[in-house]
Amino acid sequence: MIKSDANTDRWIVDPKTGRPIPPMEQPGYYPGFSTMGQKSYWDAKTREVVEERVHHAPPIRFFSSEEVATMSAVADRLIPQDDRADGRKIPIINGIDERLFKEELEGYVYEDMPIDSKAYQIGLKAIEAMAQELYSTTFATLDPIRQDLILKSIHDSKPIAAKEIWSQMSPHRFWALLLGDCATEYYSHPWAWDEIGFGGPAYPRPYMRLEGGQPEPWEKPERRYEWLAPFTSISDREEEMGGGEHPRQGGTH
Amino acid sequence: MSKPILGKFRKPQTDKKILGPMQRISPEMRRFSDDEAVDYCIIGVGSAGGVLSQRLAKSGFKVVGLEAGPFWDTERDWVSDEKGSHELYWNDLRLTGGNNPLSLGDNNSGKGVGGGSVHWAAFAPRLHPSDFRIHTEDGVGVDWPISYDELKPYYALLEREIPVAGPAYFPWGDPHGYPYGPHPMGGVGDILVKGCTKLGIRSCAGGPVAILSGSHGNRPHCIYRGFCLQGCKVGAKASTLITHVPEALEYGAEIRAHSMAFRISMDKNNRTDGVFYYDSLGREHFQRAKAVIVSGYAIETPRLLLNSACPGHGNGLANSSGTVGKYLMAQAGNVVGGRFESLVRMYKAPPAHALTEEFYETDPKRDFARGFAVQTVGPLPIAFAKQMMAAKGVWGWGMRRVMMDYNHWAALGVLGEILPWADNCVELAEQKDQWGIPVAKVTFNLHDNDNKLIEFAKNKVEELLRAAGAQDVAQEKRFAHLVGGARMGNDPGSSVVDKFGRTHDVSNLFVCDGSILPTQGSANPGLTIQSLAARTADYLISQGDKVFTSEQRDMTRPPVRRELSPKGTFIHGIPRLSFAE
Repeated sequence: MIKSDANTDRWIVDPKTGRPIPPMEQPGYYPGFSTMGQKSYWDAKTREVVEERVHHAPPIRFFSSEEVATMSAVADRLIPQDDRADGRKIPIINGIDERLFKEELEGYVYEDMPIDSKAYQIGLKAIEAMAQELYSTTFATLDPIRQDLILKSIHDSKPIAAKEIWSQMSPHRFWALLLGDCATEYYSHPWAWDEIGFGGPAYPRPYMRLEGGQPEPWEKPERRYEWLAPFTSISDREEEMGGGEHPRQGGTH
Repeated sequence: MSKPILGKFRKPQTDKKILGPMQRISPEMRRFSDDEAVDYCIIGVGSAGGVLSQRLAKSGFKVVGLEAGPFWDTERDWVSDEKGSHELYWNDLRLTGGNNPLSLGDNNSGKGVGGGSVHWAAFAPRLHPSDFRIHTEDGVGVDWPISYDELKPYYALLEREIPVAGPAYFPWGDPHGYPYGPHPMGGVGDILVKGCTKLGIRSCAGGPVAILSGSHGNRPHCIYRGFCLQGCKVGAKASTLITHVPEALEYGAEIRAHSMAFRISMDKNNRTDGVFYYDSLGREHFQRAKAVIVSGYAIETPRLLLNSACPGHGNGLANSSGTVGKYLMAQAGNVVGGRFESLVRMYKAPPAHALTEEFYETDPKRDFARGFAVQTVGPLPIAFAKQMMAAKGVWGWGMRRVMMDYNHWAALGVLGEILPWADNCVELAEQKDQWGIPVAKVTFNLHDNDNKLIEFAKNKVEELLRAAGAQDVAQEKRFAHLVGGARMGNDPGSSVVDKFGRTHDVSNLFVCDGSILPTQGSANPGLTIQSLAARTADYLISQGDKVFTSEQRDMTRPPVRRELSPKGTFIHGIPRLSFAE
């Protein structure tokens, strides 16, 4: 039964019934899969680093309280977690705050961009200014679809407001920085590995079934379910940018 | 929760440094005083610096390697985790720009003993013979001052030393075999072979890759965990940290970690007499040396030479030609993902395990010179999320959806030759780093031939993936590797170093790393860099003390000193199924 006070318009939807799907302990197509269940088989250093990530989100030291409000709302739209039960949501902004607080860089800054910490301050100020200019309220208090509209315009490199602030900084590069950082936080978390069926750390215990997409004895087979993004969101509309040149790339070859 | 029979794996109890689970070295090493003039001060202990220090020390020279980053302990420092491996990369400030700005950091820049060889995917193909003369053959770029044949014995040597696993018969370029057998295939390799087969072209599975397919001395074989780019805790993937540095220490070299060189010192006779550097506490030091070898790779090498400008070398050290920092190259590295109905699970097996070089050479039927390889890549979740951001523009619920399909995707990479252009360069910026040293500004622009090559290559990989059964393909435009910036050549007016790596301007100053490559071909540069280092070492050993005292430039080719290979790797047993020699 769906409780009447639940925020059901933010839930994902079953396409067959049109009904909202309540938040889950573990979304994704690998029910019962747990990378953390394998931690005894990891080396001590890896276990220490991953357990720290799960149990101790770093404190907020870089973002101001206003920036925390904006940034949290932004992260909730960039990597929405409304299909995750309370207590099973993955912290996003703490890890970003830590990197900015420690002034850690990724090894380069675009010549037309400020340093990462400054870029965040300008970008969050711009997003807040967009909310004020368009809706005369803070970004965090907007409904999801209006938040998505603002963010989508940055994604498209055509910000629909606060054009003066955006003239100081490339929205395209800021988007890549912001979303790249959010994705790094989410997909570095073991609960996200469980969700997508990634095996996680694999030393000393290795992988042994390399071909044909076969699961290890401790992995789970895929069990798909159909879902639609909440009707209050526009971030799952098929729209290929195609051949995108992504400004923040790790190594591959 | 299940556990290993003897309980969970614990922290190692040893005072020694651990280089892979089986190799231990004493952390105590020889320590030269700053005032003692060592024979060679090597700046940067990466792919080239590791090989150079091993060979020079083994030949009796006094060697100090200055390394900006740490001396790793693979068991205590490294993790089986993407985000947790951030410290392996050169993360300090650099500026990047131009029309096609390069991503740096984890894309191509290592820091710490082993350098980039710590986080390379370890594909180890040779250059083709044609790569050494593209100006003669195709009228583009520039010829090398050496031929393939001059480097060939060093390729064979390094393939044994690191060693390389691959087929007994590799059919492209100068056909040859590999000492260790090919690896079993992962899902992405299967797809590459399937696609190539459908298109009627040859492919190669299980290598060539510098990852052990069988145990080797005190290094275990690969366990197929897929974290090659995060540093191989297993010790199966070659890095000079585990292949050459231990023997360098055994023969008395000193590797001085956390030592950031900031200026090469010159005496009044136009010879270098040592290197200024900062230690981990920011204290300034000066290491005296009879000769200096710069092995800082394609950005830090030009940066250091430019930052070492002094009277008589006003445009930067060894820069009378004005080419220091110029002709920087990166390879086209477009990653094309294909979504398959069945599961792939591309995180298993080394990212590097199958390729085709069928499109490597210039084809007169195409409208561009030179070519490309197609190789497996196996992005882990964070890397894949970023690729999908670029390739499909996903965010929000779209990101969550495509990532839930992570196990259905396979990714192949283009590795394409971008030609050397003077406007692709490393310069000094006004900004300074944490030590107060002016940082590098990197400018990168694609030219007509590069754009045509990339377009063709990307379409070919998409065709290949579709032939293998992909229903959806998406590509991200990107670049891989760095070389150039201090190129070698016979003409002192258009190059920085001669064919042995000696700077044209200063007779006891050498450059030996990826920056000396005049062109890059479509082969991953790691093996070529290490082979060039072994060759330069042979030259220096042949020259003996003359390097330290004479202005003479002997251009005689040195003998190949196979006896200098690290023990247990001497050149035997390389399969040879071709009788072309």
